[in-house]
Amino acid sequence: MKKSLLFSIISFSALSINAQEITLKGKELFGDLEARQIGPAIMSGRVSDLAMHPKNNQIIFLGAAGGGIWKSSDGGASFVPVFDKHIQSIGTITFDPNNPDNVIWAGTGETWTRNSVSVGDGIYKSTDGGLNWTNMGLPKSERISSIIVDPRDSNNVWVGVLGALWGDSEERGIYNSKDGGKTWNKILYVDNKTGCSDLVIDPSNPNVMYASFWEFRRTAWSFNSGGNASALFKTTDGGKTWNKIHNGFPAGKLGRIAIAVTPSNPNILFSVIECEKDTQKGLYKSEDAGKTWKHLNSDFALVVRPFYFSRITIDPKNPEIIYKGGLNGSISRDGGKTFRNLGAMHSDIHDIIVDPIDTNRIYVATDGGMYRSWNNGSTLDIVKNLPLSQYYHITLDNEEPYNIYGGLQDNGSWYGPSKSDGGIEARDWNSVGYGDGFRVLKHPTKKIIYSEMQGAENIWRYNLETKELKTIQPLQEKGVAKLRFNWNTPIVTGLHNPDRIYAGSQFVHVSDDMGASWKIISPDLTTNDKLKLNQENSGGLSKDNSGAENHCTLFTIAESPLSKDIIWAGADDGNVQITQDGGKTWKNVTANIIGLPKNTWCYHIEASNFAKGSAYAVFDGHTSNDQNTYVFKTTDFGATWTSIVTKDIDGFARCIQEDYVNENLLFLGTEKGLYITVDGGKNWSKFENNMPAVAVMHLDLHKKTNDLVMATHGRGVIILDDVSILRQVTNDIIASEVHFFKTKPFVKEENSSFGATASELEFVGPNPNSSAQIVYYLKKRNTFGKIEMEIQDMNGNKIVNLPVSNQKGINIVSWNFNEKGPKVATGKTLDYSGFTTPLVPAGKYKAVLTKGKDKFTHEFEVINDPKSPVKEAARADQRATTKMLFNKVERLAYMVYEIDEMIKLNGEIAAKDKSYAKTADKINAELNKLKNTMVITTGDNYVGSAEKQLREKLGVIYVSIASQYDAPSPSQKANIESVMDLYNKAEVEFKRLEKLHFSKILEKAKKLNPEYKLKTFEEFIAS
Amino acid sequence: MNITTTNSVTNKNYNMKTLKNLLAATVLLFTCFSATAQTADEIINKYFENIGGKDKLLKVNSFKMNMVTNYNGLEIPVEIFNDKAGKMYVKINFQGKEITQLAFDGKTGWSTNFMTMKAEKLDSETTENMLLQTKEFPDPFLNYKEKGFKVELIGKETKEGTECFKIKLTKTPITVAGKKEENVIFYYFDTENYVPIMTESEIKEGPAKGQMSTSTMGDYQEVEGMYFPFTMNQGGQAMTVKTITINQPVDNKEFEMKTE
Repeated sequence: MKKSLLFSIISFSALSINAQEITLKGKELFGDLEARQIGPAIMSGRVSDLAMHPKNNQIIFLGAAGGGIWKSSDGGASFVPVFDKHIQSIGTITFDPNNPDNVIWAGTGETWTRNSVSVGDGIYKSTDGGLNWTNMGLPKSERISSIIVDPRDSNNVWVGVLGALWGDSEERGIYNSKDGGKTWNKILYVDNKTGCSDLVIDPSNPNVMYASFWEFRRTAWSFNSGGNASALFKTTDGGKTWNKIHNGFPAGKLGRIAIAVTPSNPNILFSVIECEKDTQKGLYKSEDAGKTWKHLNSDFALVVRPFYFSRITIDPKNPEIIYKGGLNGSISRDGGKTFRNLGAMHSDIHDIIVDPIDTNRIYVATDGGMYRSWNNGSTLDIVKNLPLSQYYHITLDNEEPYNIYGGLQDNGSWYGPSKSDGGIEARDWNSVGYGDGFRVLKHPTKKIIYSEMQGAENIWRYNLETKELKTIQPLQEKGVAKLRFNWNTPIVTGLHNPDRIYAGSQFVHVSDDMGASWKIISPDLTTNDKLKLNQENSGGLSKDNSGAENHCTLFTIAESPLSKDIIWAGADDGNVQITQDGGKTWKNVTANIIGLPKNTWCYHIEASNFAKGSAYAVFDGHTSNDQNTYVFKTTDFGATWTSIVTKDIDGFARCIQEDYVNENLLFLGTEKGLYITVDGGKNWSKFENNMPAVAVMHLDLHKKTNDLVMATHGRGVIILDDVSILRQVTNDIIASEVHFFKTKPFVKEENSSFGATASELEFVGPNPNSSAQIVYYLKKRNTFGKIEMEIQDMNGNKIVNLPVSNQKGINIVSWNFNEKGPKVATGKTLDYSGFTTPLVPAGKYKAVLTKGKDKFTHEFEVINDPKSPVKEAARADQRATTKMLFNKVERLAYMVYEIDEMIKLNGEIAAKDKSYAKTADKINAELNKLKNTMVITTGDNYVGSAEKQLREKLGVIYVSIASQYDAPSPSQKANIESVMDLYNKAEVEFKRLEKLHFSKILEKAKKLNPEYKLKTFEEFIAS
Repeated sequence: MNITTTNSVTNKNYNMKTLKNLLAATVLLFTCFSATAQTADEIINKYFENIGGKDKLLKVNSFKMNMVTNYNGLEIPVEIFNDKAGKMYVKINFQGKEITQLAFDGKTGWSTNFMTMKAEKLDSETTENMLLQTKEFPDPFLNYKEKGFKVELIGKETKEGTECFKIKLTKTPITVAGKKEENVIFYYFDTENYVPIMTESEIKEGPAKGQMSTSTMGDYQEVEGMYFPFTMNQGGQAMTVKTITINQPVDNKEFEMKTE
């Protein structure tokens, strides 16, 4: 259907002159363009749920808050991502106890409902150990807290749906499927505000289950936990009937209730309760399967932030050992009477699992990755290959390679390089801020970094050279209204004055001295709605005034690249304002945006590079329970706006990036990934090549490299290298059989091969492709028939063959500037020289693609590294010397070949003609004597190596010269002289023996076998 | 002096290791190739029709493929042989030396140690798994039911920009680190030509265990009335087939472990 539609559109556009639309979508267009996930994993990110295979402690599944599902097959030493095609926010993961090797269930939508939490889109099932996943329904569940598979029947599955965070929902409750997830029935529903926060089963009797229900709600400006509907229920008939079990519970409203059954004694239950009175909050225990409860403990560690920490884990063997998630995580060894903190790790503990085989081993899910412990959590070690980092924002600098600056959820602020020797490792990242990190900016010209923490509690100015560190946030001044800063406060450096910095509260603040002094250049630009300014009362039963709910604040500020006087400001309450006179007057243009619901959060404004009046605005309605996509463009300073959203886009968007060259090339970051348009928004394509369906919070385009850099909230920094190809995509190209894209000259980078330090269990971000890349479009994949590619010089001489990429869409073939390697003399061992290819000089080259009878040619340029100090004359010397040595290596190879042939022929002749045997032996002895000086004929490739002979000596100096860029040094020249001396001697002796014997041997050989022919040098090299 | 010695040992180690990894990829590729293709029966039948017919394949007793792999700019000739009895070898030609990277004589699997250039036995698990491959010859989909394999059509997906049928082939379980594990390959058959253009299988060992390894294949060309892919790529390692020779007997010595 999709295909036939596509075909008809293409044929239509071929016929119609005015056809404008570029209809080729995602997987049929992007081909070899692939995103590069560079981490970092050093701080990792929030992990929401863990699950261990019940019988095999090598297998662990990890659900991340925003980074998908990961599987470990080595007991938690390392993990691999297995859920990249699907939504990345995970609530719960469960093994089917009847078939844990193969069947795994995942409920999407994290249930730790902080302000920045992502959303899910239903329940998934894998039947092949996590390789493939299928959505099994409940698409509007948003957050799934629990899944239980009946240990007697894999088709019988219960699911606890917590549901929507930002609005009413009737999807909440407990669902049951009797057919392995094909159909679902709701079996317990409380109301549209109260969802199932926990569902647990009695391991000794699957008819017994406990379910906690939680009344909760978030708005952009407040959070409420608790209400009269929150409750703990029990069923004893497999979910048909449910009864409240509150005997001993506190009276009044209840909040989030945690519940756990003791595996070794299922009559013992533990519950952690949020309630009205502080003295009644905390841990409750029942020793009669829920008939009665006793309050044990109200420690801070047990009652802190119930919406964020609610897991109780009980040791599988020892009923006295109880773990509780919390700020630091706690352990009790006396059945819950007393607790102490777990060992040092990242704070905010969401889940703890215990290895059922060795119960000393525990695994902990935190805001900063997963930790493992071999001693019940006394000491812990972070898993180093989980790049789950949750960025809020990124910016770039102009260094080479450029650096990426950004702040992360509960993991401060960092910067690191887009490229590093040996790959981008943990050690490449530098910490430049505490707390929750958001916007991090590099001063455009000075070695200064600005970073911030939540609510602009601190904005730091950090001088990288002097190490001077100052806080520079705008402070309260006399006569000014109380400043309101968003949790994620906008700060921006000036595009026209490098010392300028903007900050947004409800006002726009500007500083022209790097934050030393500030002035307010706007009135309150927000709605200043008093009903939304009561953050002190936020939290419900547990007060939670972290600043995360600050509202009626500015969220985005954009200075026009074309005029310092044009500044846009967008607010979390939906306001969009513009000044065209540097802040003297402001205009509220919100009402001009037709089709945008009132008070929809203005997440990002991008001022256009092409016209002063042009800008893009992206609105995120999800905090008003609206997940539609809102992206608008104005060309008249906000007087009118046009939506550039199509049905291609799924879910709410947060940020947009305009290309600097092609106005129609736009990149959109959404909750579910990256979308690209090449026609100004008429058509959008989801980009999925190595790009998980992860929330893209911000993106930026690097001007020099044309790299699109994304801040993802769960998979770190993801880069789409050099998007300049996409600027060139037009209908004409899509209609052509083969089209080569223009590429900028390729730099032969002069790099060391040093650098890698990471173990194989650590994450290392890949570097960009530094080869020459031949980029072409194929209208159709070449499945039948021959397709080949070779590189030629401008005279049409072949340099090398290259493996062809051959898919419909964009193909990339890489060439690392090499010529062919030398043919090396055959010896007992292998020689390095055979692994070393000379590199081509700078200049123009051709790529020739042969497809059946058709040839397609593309010219491109190779240039020397502009950073290189090596002069042209030195390069020529290096090249000539390399060529000379290369030729000697091959000449030597041919001499050895001839000697080997003569020895072999002599043997064959002597075998037929006994009278010749003695002569043959004598000649062969002479030949072998020479050969033994030419090439190693004994020993091995390791420490059993024999003494180096001519081949090896020649090889060493050839490899040195061919691998360097500079001219041979005096020392190298002296060595060449000495090697050449040996070479010449060997050649003289070879010629003597050749003259003496070869023609006679060949004559005799011809008589034996008229077909025999000694290869010429050229034939030998080609063979 | 000392330092030089150490360095050269390290370098050698490095080179040998990378070359060995490269060849391991070659072997995997071969497996995927010999495992040509299939789907739900209709697709599989159409596939056999399109590549020359089951009858022709049934008459195949052996394949010899001469290919070239591109490694760091070097073109390395590789020869792969595979027959009905399960005998196989993978040889490379490097610096005038023919090196048997991997061989199996039906009982013993062996390889050449790159330090000593001497033959060494493969671990028994690998040998056991090689033995299982015998029944995949010449194509795992050929009479797959008799082989005890299972086939399932999963649906359609776009791969290589091209609409494909996704077919799951479940073969005989293999042993990994002492445990039996499912042996599944997903095949993507181009919906136009009904031949596989991509396969995916789970990586069974090492830090990437649990992830998919992808191979692509294209450039199908005719050999004795049958069609075979002449270009393949596994995880970035490209192979180009130069010639395929069918039913040409090979001396048994080629498979036997050399004792030197």
